[in-house]
Amino acid sequence: MANYGMAFDYKLCINCHACEVACKEENGIDLGAKNHRLWIQEDALVKGDFWDLDRSEISFMQMQCQECQDAPCLKACPNGAIYVDENGIVRLHQDKCDLTRACMEACPYDARYVDEKNHVTDKCIFCADTRLARGETTTACQITCPAKLRYFGDLDDENSEISKVLKEREHFTLKPEAGTKPKLFYLK
Amino acid sequence: MQVEVSRRKFLQGSVTLSIAGASAVSTTNLFSGEEASEHKPSQSGIPSTITTKTSTKKAEDVPYLCGICVNKCAGFARVEDGIVTKLNPNPYFPKSRNMLCARGNAGIQTMYDPDRLKYPMVRIGERGDGKYKRVTWEEAYDAILNGTDKFKGIKQILDEEKDNRATIGYCNGEGLSKEGFEVLVGDKIGSPNYVDEISICLETVLGGYVNTIGTYGEADLNNADYLIIAGANRAEAIITPDTMDLFKRSKGRGLKTIVLDPRFTNTAAKADRWYAVNPGTDLAFVLALTYVVLTEELYDKDFAAKHMEGFEDYKQHILSHNYTPEWAAKLTNISAKEIVKTAREFMAARSPIYYQGRRSVFSKNDFQLRRAMAIFQGLSGNLDKKGGIIYGQKLALPKEDINAPLYAQVQSRFDKEGIAIPASKTGSWIVFRNMVLEGKAPYPVRAMFMRKHNPMSGVPNTKKTEAFLRKMDLNVMIDILPSDTTMFADVVLPEASYLERTSPVASYGGLEPAIVQRKAAVKPLFETKVPEEIYRELAEKLSKPLWEITQKYDEDVQDDTKGMSTEEIEKYYKENGFDLAEPWEKPVHEQNEEKIVKAFGKEAWETLEEKGVFYPNMDKYHQQLNPNEFQYYPESKKNYSVKGDSLKVVVNFKNLAKKGVDPMPTWHDDMAFSVPEGKFRLVTGRHAQFTQSGTTNNMMLRDLIPTNYIWINNQKCEEMSIEFGDKVEVKSSIGKVTIMAYPTNKIAPNQIFMLHGFGGSSEEMEMAYGNGANDALLIEDKIEPVYGAAVMHETNVEIRKV
Repeated sequence: MANYGMAFDYKLCINCHACEVACKEENGIDLGAKNHRLWIQEDALVKGDFWDLDRSEISFMQMQCQECQDAPCLKACPNGAIYVDENGIVRLHQDKCDLTRACMEACPYDARYVDEKNHVTDKCIFCADTRLARGETTTACQITCPAKLRYFGDLDDENSEISKVLKEREHFTLKPEAGTKPKLFYLK
Repeated sequence: MQVEVSRRKFLQGSVTLSIAGASAVSTTNLFSGEEASEHKPSQSGIPSTITTKTSTKKAEDVPYLCGICVNKCAGFARVEDGIVTKLNPNPYFPKSRNMLCARGNAGIQTMYDPDRLKYPMVRIGERGDGKYKRVTWEEAYDAILNGTDKFKGIKQILDEEKDNRATIGYCNGEGLSKEGFEVLVGDKIGSPNYVDEISICLETVLGGYVNTIGTYGEADLNNADYLIIAGANRAEAIITPDTMDLFKRSKGRGLKTIVLDPRFTNTAAKADRWYAVNPGTDLAFVLALTYVVLTEELYDKDFAAKHMEGFEDYKQHILSHNYTPEWAAKLTNISAKEIVKTAREFMAARSPIYYQGRRSVFSKNDFQLRRAMAIFQGLSGNLDKKGGIIYGQKLALPKEDINAPLYAQVQSRFDKEGIAIPASKTGSWIVFRNMVLEGKAPYPVRAMFMRKHNPMSGVPNTKKTEAFLRKMDLNVMIDILPSDTTMFADVVLPEASYLERTSPVASYGGLEPAIVQRKAAVKPLFETKVPEEIYRELAEKLSKPLWEITQKYDEDVQDDTKGMSTEEIEKYYKENGFDLAEPWEKPVHEQNEEKIVKAFGKEAWETLEEKGVFYPNMDKYHQQLNPNEFQYYPESKKNYSVKGDSLKVVVNFKNLAKKGVDPMPTWHDDMAFSVPEGKFRLVTGRHAQFTQSGTTNNMMLRDLIPTNYIWINNQKCEEMSIEFGDKVEVKSSIGKVTIMAYPTNKIAPNQIFMLHGFGGSSEEMEMAYGNGANDALLIEDKIEPVYGAAVMHETNVEIRKV
């Protein structure tokens, strides 16, 4: 029993894609550009002329399921296939999914894709059925990261590293206007 | 902060993904024996899918050292039912500090690459046409010794050359089994003609630093507060721990970072300042920095007086040459104001570092550039101390004695043309190859023994490398993939990849020294063998027949053995090292155990076996700091300062003058950067998702970076009507390639950039073949004058849309 969340010291990212490969290998994700549980988005392309580059806005953003506490995908699924597990992670009953893709359309974060191997929609679940299921307490993306920018842990445990870092540092969530109450936090 | 989130935007926006190569993946061939699009295991031990979801079952975690690049990070391989399903970072190794990069994670795909070399092969067609016959190991060794109807064996060649072992050349790539190959072909078989990666890589950096401050050193980026990093792209050419330390501290987080690069790299994007320096002019920048600190007397005077040999000479030298910021501004494209500011900031900082860099030679002045950088570092006094360039310590391993035989008939190496200080062991790839090709070698070089090395891609001027390989009577290759170079081998010996072999233990020195061991996660796949086993078997096969040739021609051996009985001769053969297989009598794992137990005791060995890492007091020192980070040594036990009064910076290196090399870094007019109108300067580099030609066939990495593009300035592209993805022909004085265009504002109008390592010519590497362009077809084979190392950034090219 936990209430898992993740925080990103996002400015430290060097766009090396280690997280992406670790995720694919850990969770057996198919190759192919569209098959990603997580991805790094290069935000704001470098503007201007070579001799006068505007480089103030460059950031590499870690993108994946935002683990909404008010998850649009869960509400949208006509089959009731989506649920929140005992660790507060938005999960899928694979046998109930018949690929209506309603969840994909409902997600404001574009977090889901079609897993063609299993014929379901898939997204990041914090390695819930691999690492966490084995009793480990880290995710594949978190430990492999050269910048060590991912904090993962129990938001309900005030002594957890993530709780401490969220207390100490200012942070924001993505698309707060969508009212989804994400459990993924970006540290300022 | 407003962030637009979109998977589709990501897909469209990413250059590397938007033109996913539509390459056909289906042919079946002798090399692969299975389909390339998915694994169709022909034997157990191969997963049925490309990625394997890890299970909740119990698994074995085997400590290993990564071999996907030269960096050597440590990991644990998760093995489930004989299949490696995941590679995890190893939290015990101070160097890689619990991390694996994208390539490290994708190492699984290299082991399970369908195109791997699976069994020994002997050429049955003509050189380069790809026709091979599968043979047994014994047949392959026999072909090396005795030849076939298609090529001569080493016995005949050595007989014809009257036991001149120098008729054999050999080359080798970086790695933990490299030394063994040097022992086999160099020490035991007796060839002096060795070339390796050093003369196409960082030779001048090593030489410049070692000859100036006595070490290449380790930049303590964890504690420095000011960094100039020039031409080293640590965000995309990952080195641990540098990459990890640097970017968590740049941009207002404690380490002010100044990047010099002709290109706007990810490192530049993460820096506080970026200077678009003209290629090859860094030396002028450093000389001008030096001018500022000397004229304004900003340097560490105590340090200079105590540790810098020839300081006054240098001061005189710099001032009399008038290396002013204004002078450098014209050459470098960095304004005088910025140079003055950087010089002052550097010397005012508590712990400033001018990063040594670690890559290929850029230009002909590279040795002098590195000397100037090392001296400039010395002027700050920030050497051998916390936050500076660290000398560190190394844990000593017992030395191995090699019983190397003496061959009277062997001639010496000759690749010295145009070189001031030839490297006696590793030579110069370009000079060696070219002198053989041009008939300038004093004796025939007729065979190449090669291992894990791909000069067709790595050494500038591929056409010459091909002609060189075609000229040989015998080419032998030990490798894991059918590289472009492998396709010119007569005998191909398939090696186990790094996850399938236990390698000789290694000691990593520095601030936090450690001993590491790579253990085999699984048994060698197919019919591959671990390198040391190949060395032993090949040595056993060659030993007696080659000894007979020595007895036939070697007068020293004849004199020594005159009148001896058969038993006495046998004893002489063994005692004098002519038994070639003797270094590999014991398997690697056993040798490792002996060494570690001898040096550190039995408990150390047990720790190393379990954790892959050992250092004294590890049980006390190693502590978990948080879920993801660890302490390796307590602060008081780190080797920040070790040199004391013996610390010396050789500023005026008088002996160099005798060799025709400037004893102090000097700018010469012909070093200036210029590109004729209508041409472009070609610069090359690396990327965080692949390691040169070694990973272009890796399915996972190819997914991230399917091909290389040519970066052309966007305004230039408009002038030339070139759009993204257009095919352009790039032509230099030595060759041409066709490659897709990437118009970008991240490069200057008179320069182009391409990633190194693509454009494979081996049809047996399905993913790599014909994908992108090989820069070695374009880069002119120029050398720098000190060591004869290949100069990578002095080629001008023309481009046109095709």
